[in-house]
Amino acid sequence: MNEVYIIKGFRSAIGKSGKGIFRFSRPDDIASSVIKHLVNSVPQLEKERINDIIVGNATPEAEQGLNIGRMISLMSLDTHKVPGMTVNRYCSSGLETIALADAKIKNGMADCIIAGGVESMSPIPFGGWKIIPNYDISKKNPDWYWNMGLTAEAVAKKYKIDREMQDNFSYYSHQKALKAIKNGMFNNEIVPIETKSIFLDENEKRQEKIILADTDEGPRKDTTLEKLAKLRPVFAKDGSITAGNSSQTSDGAAFVILMSKKMMLELNLEPVAQLKSYSVAGVEPKYMGIGPVEAVPLVLNQAGLKMNDIEQIELNEAFASQSLAVINELNLNKEIVNVNGGAIALGHPLGCTGGKLTVQLIHEMKRRKQKYGMVTMCVGTGQGAAGIFEIF
Amino acid sequence: MKINKYIENVAIIGSGIMGSRIACHFANIGVKVLLLDIIPSNLTDDEREKKELKNLIVNNALKETIKSKPSPLYTQKDREHITTGNIEDDLYKISEADWIIEVVVEKLSIKQEVFKKIEQFRKPGTLISSNTSGIPIENLIKNRSQDFQEYFCGTHFFNPPRYLKLLEIIPSSKTKKAVVDFHMYYGNRYLGKDMVLCKDTPAFIANRIGVANILHVFHTANELELTVDEIDLLTGPMIGRPKSATFRTCDLVGLDTLIHVANGVRENCPNDEMHEKLSAPSFINEMQKNNWLGDKTGQGFYKKNKDENGITVIECLDLKKLEYVTKSKRKFPSISLAKKKHSLKDKIKLLINAHDIAGKFYRKTFYNLFSYISNRVPEISNEIYKIDRALKAGFGWELGPFEIWDIIGVEDSIKNIEEDGFKIAPWVNIMIKKNKKTFYSIEKEKLHYYNINKEEYNLIDDIKDFIILDNIREDNIVWKNNDCNLIDIGDGIVNLEWNTKMNSIGEGVLNGINQAINIAEKNYKGLVIANQGANFSVGANIAMIFMMAIEQEYDEIDYAIRLFQQTTGRIRYSSVPVVVATHGLTLAGGCEIALHADHVQASAETYMGLVEIGIGLIPAGGGTKAMAERASQKYFEGDIQLPTLKERYLNIGMAKVSTSAHNAKELDLLLKDRDTITIGNNNLISDAKMSALNLFNNGYTKPANKKIKVLGRQALGMFLVGAHSMHAAHYISDHDKLISEKLAYVICGGDLSAATEVSEKYLLDLEREAFLSLSGERKTLERIEYMLKKGKPLRN
Repeated sequence: MNEVYIIKGFRSAIGKSGKGIFRFSRPDDIASSVIKHLVNSVPQLEKERINDIIVGNATPEAEQGLNIGRMISLMSLDTHKVPGMTVNRYCSSGLETIALADAKIKNGMADCIIAGGVESMSPIPFGGWKIIPNYDISKKNPDWYWNMGLTAEAVAKKYKIDREMQDNFSYYSHQKALKAIKNGMFNNEIVPIETKSIFLDENEKRQEKIILADTDEGPRKDTTLEKLAKLRPVFAKDGSITAGNSSQTSDGAAFVILMSKKMMLELNLEPVAQLKSYSVAGVEPKYMGIGPVEAVPLVLNQAGLKMNDIEQIELNEAFASQSLAVINELNLNKEIVNVNGGAIALGHPLGCTGGKLTVQLIHEMKRRKQKYGMVTMCVGTGQGAAGIFEIF
Repeated sequence: MKINKYIENVAIIGSGIMGSRIACHFANIGVKVLLLDIIPSNLTDDEREKKELKNLIVNNALKETIKSKPSPLYTQKDREHITTGNIEDDLYKISEADWIIEVVVEKLSIKQEVFKKIEQFRKPGTLISSNTSGIPIENLIKNRSQDFQEYFCGTHFFNPPRYLKLLEIIPSSKTKKAVVDFHMYYGNRYLGKDMVLCKDTPAFIANRIGVANILHVFHTANELELTVDEIDLLTGPMIGRPKSATFRTCDLVGLDTLIHVANGVRENCPNDEMHEKLSAPSFINEMQKNNWLGDKTGQGFYKKNKDENGITVIECLDLKKLEYVTKSKRKFPSISLAKKKHSLKDKIKLLINAHDIAGKFYRKTFYNLFSYISNRVPEISNEIYKIDRALKAGFGWELGPFEIWDIIGVEDSIKNIEEDGFKIAPWVNIMIKKNKKTFYSIEKEKLHYYNINKEEYNLIDDIKDFIILDNIREDNIVWKNNDCNLIDIGDGIVNLEWNTKMNSIGEGVLNGINQAINIAEKNYKGLVIANQGANFSVGANIAMIFMMAIEQEYDEIDYAIRLFQQTTGRIRYSSVPVVVATHGLTLAGGCEIALHADHVQASAETYMGLVEIGIGLIPAGGGTKAMAERASQKYFEGDIQLPTLKERYLNIGMAKVSTSAHNAKELDLLLKDRDTITIGNNNLISDAKMSALNLFNNGYTKPANKKIKVLGRQALGMFLVGAHSMHAAHYISDHDKLISEKLAYVICGGDLSAATEVSEKYLLDLEREAFLSLSGERKTLERIEYMLKKGKPLRN
């Protein structure tokens, strides 16, 4: 077995979908901007020695279709010799790709792979343009196709997470994120990207404008507990899930370079982290949000670690209800979860999120000089995923 | 000189409730509107640099107006026709306008100031008018140029201007005749209004009579010790007036507005015989002191409160104690009897002769009204019909006061009226002496009125081109049964109307449609299906369906649906053009009839929808099929199709009702490129007749039977998941879910493996099966029963 290391990791800023900094950008453009920066940050690495690019994406159609992984490789590396593929496990896609790359290198199938994810939710509706459930399943198990909000309601009910708890959790997510941005905590991991918007002005004259995307847009300074309490439930008539205590839909990309120890030594590179282990688990689809409760014990066991060994956790905040249910069920130390805020404030670009949380975790743990950290998330249609990283 | 103007731009000065709503109505008909108001007076110098702050008043007013219900706009998109601005920066833009309308506060000096400013930018020959409700027109044009005066008149809209049909035109002595003629034409044809040309007398016609009548009702309520809600029971739909009747109307309009008009009349008309009664009774003064002015101050004659269980209850004001109390439960024997009468005429005849307190109230108020209107001719109008038209169109009365008097019997009632102390104008007695026993007479199929100067019946000229079925029915009937009349409306076109309760559709109507088509195919160029009741049709006769379902006579229900389907099929596949003219509620079966026409001529005020889910059923007279078909016609190569079908599925699944004919086009209940819209109802049947003639003249041939593409299980799966999710989220009930699933099955053409072209018959059979199976459901029966009893849907 080869040893595998993560050499570098970067991400884009995360834009609000539909109205944010990346609303005029295509996902392949955002991803290749990040990858170009990533590759340039390792000048010793000849591009043609990269064996593959593995791109996580949760809605691989329209702008994200046509095997976007391969397109991103062509667009980023100025060579046709590096292939590319697209992987979909919904919200864990960007972590799944890192695990895949890690496994391939471990087994000697490759020496260097770029892995992560991208998602542009601006142009593509949630779930895709044409949703065609299996007719037989729609009769027998329609809840397999439930929208995620409804599963968050089911989790809130089952695990007794009330509205106030959810709003409170969401408020602190925003506060932590605002503080992190103010203190420049994400500056070293975000690749500033300039995007061009071409539009017509009042007189229908063609205009161009450069938009600089270098800061996460999601966190709201004007969020208050009162405002959160006033929002209406959006997924169920008598429900508790609102736009304020759900994750935001977003645009963004995040990638890391994984390399065999042999190649790393040859190129005289330093590692930043190593994936210790990764696990996925299935749960009842209607309680999708509880996924990490199954995946986390598995991954700890595989890594031979205990919960006490973990010093920091990035738990994807798909919804406050499921985040709280997971925290309670796993008895997680709240102090080490999402120290710089989570998806409720910072956004959740589905297929990118696994990569984004990995990049955030590595950078923050390095700063804090911590050793073991975890990225975990619930995944659509009743799944959970978790990865443990050792930071150097 | 004749003004043959095309109105492209209208400028409206003043964005209050009336200004904004008038702006919306012009936007409805596609006219570009410039809406201006003043700059907020409290802005700092810095703030005055910002356009959005300077336009705050106008923008907020328009925003509030657009949010108000019922919507002042036909569709939300019509907002695009309105631009806003402020009088300081943007007044120069009125030079582009074809018509400038002033709707500022009712104060002479302010209006005169505004006109002075307007004159700086107004191009000569531009129409200019004021929406004043009471200031003499002559006073408004003092010091203005000759051109201004010639093109100026009062244009008095009623609130809400989209819905209330009256438009009073008040020329001054200087107004050109051509300007008046233009307004009278444009208001009817383009704005859909009932036009009344007024003299420049205080409060003009509708408010003069209407407000005096309300004041008299106030005093009578006091005298007879009737409560607020009792008066509203007596003065509402029971006598053909709006549900808001007297006191609720006051709350809506605002007590201050009402008293303002009353005071105006009292001050300016010292010799009015109601002069004393025009001063408000003491409870009104108290209410004004307390600022209980109606909806605008949160309470008036009525107030919303919460009971001990937190449920909203509506309380009404005790006029003596001035406290809010629960509604009276008093029963009036005459009202109970009148409810059993089918026609409004019979109700009125019964009520005015009743011996109970209600009868006494009616005699007092009607006799006063008759006396008052007789004495206002010729003061406010030389022609009696204008008074009726103004009250009907401006206050929503089904019958005008002279019409009611005709029903009661003029000659017979004079003695009673005078005995009760009311004075009748001499011309009424002259009329009777001349052996003219009624105010109106139909001669040569046209409505005539009694002309007090000539002492003879004269044609009501400005409506002579309207097709009014009441006036032509008797002499032109081609065929009839108990429910329907087929009437020859000239030029080779016949019109089928029916007169069932709420214009519902039962076997008699269906037979009538079939018979009408048979006759039209033989002897005529085309058929129009239209009526002039309150609504086109509320749908099938559900009382019949309920009886059959209770008795479990499923063969009978099956027969009834087949007859309905066969009839809508006949509408579509006859060899003559069939034009359906819709207005008002056009629901369920009524909507299905329209969906199968060759052409729909819709009144802009058409509220159309397939609402069967409200009674636990799905449309089975071809309505579900029609939605599948209209989706199918929209599909194209490479299209993902599902959203197109979903929208039409949701039309039925959510029982959507259009808020206008234009909105019905957005919902695809009317066809964008085919169906046409008439603003207002006056010209509806004549327009429908023209549409039928056009179809005939363009060589109408029976349409070919086309296949319909259904999407099968690929769409069905999505709809089933949707229904399940909506149910899990508690948005819909168990029964809603069941109906939605049955509906999905029909509209998808069943669970076919692939998209398939099917015949209409295949879908009609699916519709019928679903309808039959739902009519065997207990919860469907509960829904129908509830609708029959309460007139609104039950969501069980």
